Amino acid sequence: MDKGNLRRIVLDVLKPLEPNIVDLVRKISTLSGVDGVNITIYEIDHHVENAKITVEGEQLSYLELRDMIVENGGAVHSIDEVAAGKRTVEEVVTHQD
Amino acid sequence: MKKNHIRWSSIPEFLEEIQTYNQIVGISEIARRYFAMNAFDGVLTTIGVLVGNYLAGVRDLSIPIQIGIATSIAMGISGLWGAYLTESAERQRELTDLEKISLIDQSETSIGRASRFAVIVVSVVDGLAPALAAFIVLIPLFLGPWINNPILSYGLAGGIALLLLFGLGLFLGKVSEKNLIGYGFKTLLAGILAIAINFLLGAE
Repeated sequence: MDKGNLRRIVLDVLKPLEPNIVDLVRKISTLSGVDGVNITIYEIDHHVENAKITVEGEQLSYLELRDMIVENGGAVHSIDEVAAGKRTVEEVVTHQD
Repeated sequence: MKKNHIRWSSIPEFLEEIQTYNQIVGISEIARRYFAMNAFDGVLTTIGVLVGNYLAGVRDLSIPIQIGIATSIAMGISGLWGAYLTESAERQRELTDLEKISLIDQSETSIGRASRFAVIVVSVVDGLAPALAAFIVLIPLFLGPWINNPILSYGLAGGIALLLLFGLGLFLGKVSEKNLIGYGFKTLLAGILAIAINFLLGAE
């Protein structure tokens, strides 16, 4: 069955301060299908930090990505954006926005 | 998530994993602290054994050797056990705190594995450091049959002990990146003080 070509995943993740995002971004970049990764920290606490992880590529595996985050002590709070198909479709601004 | 599967297949991968663990839980820093603290204990305790035997008039070196070995084994076991229990309790508490905040089981994550690895490394360092230091100090006693002069063996062992203390001070000075010689003299002073007090108390 064709699972569809997942091209972009944006996650809201709570992670410990160590391993730091330099290590995490490198590890995620080695996952299959990944073309590029961005991790942005938007909140830091005593032991943990909130990170927005954006992964782009071809035939991305959400499960592999989630396992990598959990393996490094993080927890996926929410899947904030996804894109799949022959090309990446950006969010469209409508009159209601 | 898979549990207990092999995460590395070559030595470079293994070393990389160790480096990651070190980065996560700071193993080298705490191991360094334990090493210096316990090697210091080992040398000072052995100084006590040496001076005690010397002042008691023991000239048969097999006696201080036996006492020294027994003491260093006891110190090694004490270090190993003590560090294992305290470190595992501390690490478990940290892990539990993190689990409460992150709401995930951290025991099989890289953080959980790093914590367990840290406990083993620190325990081994804590056990080996005093035992090894004690053995080094005892070398002139082992060489007693060749030196052929018990007083000289005691003296040489004392000299090695003071040298080791000075070396440990230099090591601490290097860690602090300040005043190497100053740290060397501070640790040396502890040895001289231990010898001096023992001689004062032991003098008839």
